[in-house]
Formats: sequence, C-alpha cells, structure tokens
Amino acid sequence: MRAAIPLPPPSRDLRLDFFRGLALICIFIDHIPENYLNYVTISAIGFSDAAEVFIFISGFTASLVYGRALAMRGTLIATVQVLRRAWQLYVAHIFLFVIFIAEVSYTVKAFNNPMYNEEMGVGDFLEHPHLAVVQAMLLQFQPTFLDILPLYIVMLLIFPLVLICLRWRLLAALIPSALLYLAVQVFNIAMPAYPPGTVWTFNPLAWQFLFILGATLGHAEAHARGRARLVEIAYWPALAIAVVAFAIRLSWTFHGFWESVPDLFAHQLWPTNKRNLSPVRLISFFALVMLTARWISPQARFMRAMWARPLVLCGRHSLEIFCLSILLSALGHFLMSEINTGLIMQLGVNVVGVAVMCLTAGMLDWYRQVQHVPVSTAGE
Amino acid sequence: MTTCGRWLAGPALAALAGLAVAVAGSGLARADADDCATPPEMTDTDIKLPHFADRLAAHKPATIVAIGGASTMGKAAGSSDLSYPHRLGQDLSQDYPKDKIAVVNKGVPMQSAKDMFERFPTDVFAQEPVLVVWEVGIVDAVRGTDVDEFTGTLQDGIDALKNKAIDTILVDMQFSPNSATVINFDAYLQALHRVGDLADAYVFPRFEMMRYWSEQNVFNFDDVAEADRAKLAARVYDCLGRKMAGIIHRAVP
Repeated sequence: MRAAIPLPPPSRDLRLDFFRGLALICIFIDHIPENYLNYVTISAIGFSDAAEVFIFISGFTASLVYGRALAMRGTLIATVQVLRRAWQLYVAHIFLFVIFIAEVSYTVKAFNNPMYNEEMGVGDFLEHPHLAVVQAMLLQFQPTFLDILPLYIVMLLIFPLVLICLRWRLLAALIPSALLYLAVQVFNIAMPAYPPGTVWTFNPLAWQFLFILGATLGHAEAHARGRARLVEIAYWPALAIAVVAFAIRLSWTFHGFWESVPDLFAHQLWPTNKRNLSPVRLISFFALVMLTARWISPQARFMRAMWARPLVLCGRHSLEIFCLSILLSALGHFLMSEINTGLIMQLGVNVVGVAVMCLTAGMLDWYRQVQHVPVSTAGE
Repeated sequence: MTTCGRWLAGPALAALAGLAVAVAGSGLARADADDCATPPEMTDTDIKLPHFADRLAAHKPATIVAIGGASTMGKAAGSSDLSYPHRLGQDLSQDYPKDKIAVVNKGVPMQSAKDMFERFPTDVFAQEPVLVVWEVGIVDAVRGTDVDEFTGTLQDGIDALKNKAIDTILVDMQFSPNSATVINFDAYLQALHRVGDLADAYVFPRFEMMRYWSEQNVFNFDDVAEADRAKLAARVYDCLGRKMAGIIHRAVP
C-alpha cells in the first residue's frame, strides 16, 4: 500500500477528510470576529458548528488509525503513538501561548490609558505572570485562542483506554461516556480553570462524548458492523430534525437583518450551551451526520474534483492545519484590530488565511508522498 | 532630568492634572458637536421606554440609575461630573425642562455582570428608578466568564427590572484599538446584543461608536499624551452622554 500515487486508495473514506477540511476552514473563519463569512459557515445551518464536526471526525479517524495500530502492533505501540500525538499538540499549545504573551506585551501600552486600565487590563496575566505561565502549561489558563487545544489534548490522553474498551465491547466505551455526558447535563458539572472562578471553555467532561461517539462509529465502520442499519433507522428522524433546526436557525439569521422576521423559539433554544455541548447541539449535529452518511458516498465524485482537493488535503493533515488555523486567526484578528475591520480587510484576511492553510496542507501532503507514508495512516 | 527636577516634577504634574480637571470641569473638556457625529444607522432605533414615558407624561419625578463599571463612574475623566451619566442627566434636564429627572451614578470598577446583578437590591431598587442604564460586559470579557453564564445573568437582571416595572437600556463595551487582540469581546458583544433583542431592551452601541470615532480619527485612543488622557476620556464620555440623551428622546417625544 505504498502511496506514490497522487490519489488516495479507494479505501480511504474521503468524507472524513473533506468535511474535516471544511470544518477547519470554518473554524478559521468563525474565529475572526465580526466576519461576514460567519453567516455561511456550518453554524448557519443548525445549532452545531464546526467544533462538533472537527471533534467527531477526529474521534472517528483516531479510532480507525490507532485501532489498526492496536490490532497489528499491540497495545503498547498504539498507546505510544497516541501519546506522541498528544505531545505534539501540547507543544503547539505552548507555541500559541508564546504568541499570546507577545500580543499582551505589545498591547500593554494601551492599558496605560486610564480609560481602559481600570477594567481592561489583562490583569491576571500581568499581575501574576509566574502563576499564569504555570497554569498555561497545566492547560488551566485558557485566554482567547488557547481554549481549544486543551480539549483535544485531553481527548488523546484518554484515548488509549477508549481504544482498549472499544476493542473489548463497543458499549464498554460508549456507555460510561454517555453516562458522564448525562451527569454533566443534569448536574451542570464544569471543569474549573485559571484564574479561579473561570471554567474550561470546552468542558472535556461533556465533549468527550462526541469524541468517543465518533470513535465508536469509526470502530464499527472498521469492522463493518451496524452502520448501515443505524443510518437506515435514523434517516427519517434525522431529516426531520435537520429541517426543523435549519428553519429555526435561518429565522435567527434573518431576524438579525430584518426585525420583522420572527426569531422562532429563540427564547427557548438560545443560548445553546456550547461549553457543555447541550443536547440541542448534539442532536442537531448527529442529524447532519446521518444525512451525510446517507446522501454522500465515501468516494463521491465532487470530493475528488480539483476544487475539493485543498479541503481534502487540509482535512488529511488536520493536526498541523488546525494549529496553523488558530495561529492565522490570531494574526488576522490582530491585523484587523490594529488597522481596520473594513470589508476589504476582512476579505483579505479570509482569502490569505484560507490560501495559507491550503498551501501548507498541499506541502505537507507532498512531503508525505516523498516520505512514502501511506495515506491510510496519515492525519488521524 | 536632574534629581532636583525629578523631585519637582511630581508636584508640578499633580498641579497640572488638578488644573486640567478644573479646566475640564469648567466646560472646555466638552466635545464639539461634530466630534460626536456617527452614521445615522448606528443610532437608528424604534426604542421603547414605556414606564419612563408614562412617568414623564404624568409629570412626576423620574429617577434613572446608571449601573456599571469604571467608565460609568467616570474615573478616567477625573470626576464623576464628567461621566456620561452626568452628561446624560444634564441633557435630559434641558430636553424636558418641566420634569424632574435625576440620574444616579452607581458605577463601581472591576465588576462582572454577576457582581452588578447582586448589587441590584441596594444600588438599583432602593433608588426606585423608572429606567436603568446597565453598562456591562467588559470585566466578563476580560476575565473570560462563561458566555452562557454571562447571558443568563443579563437575562435574569432584565427580568428582575421588568418585574419591578423598570425600563432597561444596556450599554455594551468600550472599544479599545489594541485590546481586541488579547480580549475576545466578540462573543460577549454578540450575547449582549442578542439578550437585548430577545428582551426588547435597547442596547446602546458604545463599542461601535467608539470604533467609528477611532477609525475616523475623531479621537485618537492610541497615543495619548499623559496630560491629555483625562481630557480625552471626558470628551468621549461627553459624546456618549449626549448620544444616549438623543436616543432616550426618541422614546419620549
């Protein structure tokens, strides 16, 4: 299975790469504030957004890739591989933190202005830098842009255990995970963070369910169990849910422009608790997953087209592109607040950012081919 | 600077600052009317303040409580007489000369939405206001309060005011050209505006206004000489107070 051929072998489910690539680009766009393109990202068609897509597919592919390693090379090797990945993410997290420190240092002068220094000082960081640095290294200090990688790191840290459970019984992984998720919903359990009083932006106790759900379906897929039946059973309910969610969400968007359009059920459904991955988000997302599974075949033609290639490549090298996208949105954010937030600036930041992501993905894939790494093990 | 010079500089600066405040107080720190101009759509609203309007229609005294943080207090300008609530009160008294309108300033620095909400019984309800101007969100964004929790607190606050037949105006964050890179205001701004929309409470777009002034170079928030900082703050607060008076005027023609 040497992959010197440009196209991945037909066994690779292109949907995983394509939609994760799409999610990465949406995450980049969503992270640039007041961006008009936000209206057309995944969050515009339902209650979930790109974060769900990314975490779900990451669980799914991690289960495919490391499940294979576990079956072929044993528990120890698979565990080491997962932990190595977690370490790479950790390094990326520290790298982002360094950029954050640079930004803070750069902005300090602004906070000497009495109009701002009373409340807008980056207080906790500047007053107790020694604590903030240690807390960032412990994943506990999560200022802007530093709140996503900690979730992913924790997911990978528990993943060897998840794999072992999955291998024994699918439900051995899924049931404890679901129970924990339910407990979070019922008792509103949060993960404390630093500074005291704050919590993790992505509560790992809740989001683990989506990751493990993805991993379970990935495992079932790899062993050709149950997926077809699940899609069969879930299709009509999923379609109904997706249509309703889309209609409601659309009414909110339009209400933002024209007040005469009613925002349906906004009092009941908004805000959808993202920190704890509220059931509304989860169900809305899962409906989209079922529809995708039913409507789009793993090798669908459009995903092999030239225009889709950059997305597929981004999705395939998701770890690197994910870190890069966070970095780029931080830079874009910086440029927009330093210069202006005009339409041209927005367009420029979006286009350049997406282009850099795609080009980097292309380069990484070229390097993978040069190194003769089979595509099936790339980009879990 | 010689040692002697340095020794003298402190008192001299203090005296200058005192002078600046005095001058500011005498009216020179007022912004020019042109400075405060913003695009019409920024203040385009069909704001409704039913309780406040009824009170004025009955020609009874009306109390407005401005609750918020340091920028409500007016600390940066050097005196609460230069804060935007004070300016608002002056303008409203001019607009409605027959009515007794009092604006009570309850700004306390470094408070989250929750801290302010907890002050409602003592600082708001005790004043028996008919309108509350709630300036909120900066500290939550800086501290990174959970957005949903922030949203919940705002909703609880507005509901509490509604139950007591008090109208609400929300005031969003101050714009600062540099801070946006390290403080993620966007999520809190969106939440604040959406809460206002759902509760039919007007959100005064301070963030957008200040950004407009900054981008148009009406006010330069970036490189302000130390001596001019209080004056800048006073002028901005002055504009904000006037703008808000103008908007309240629409609800009570």
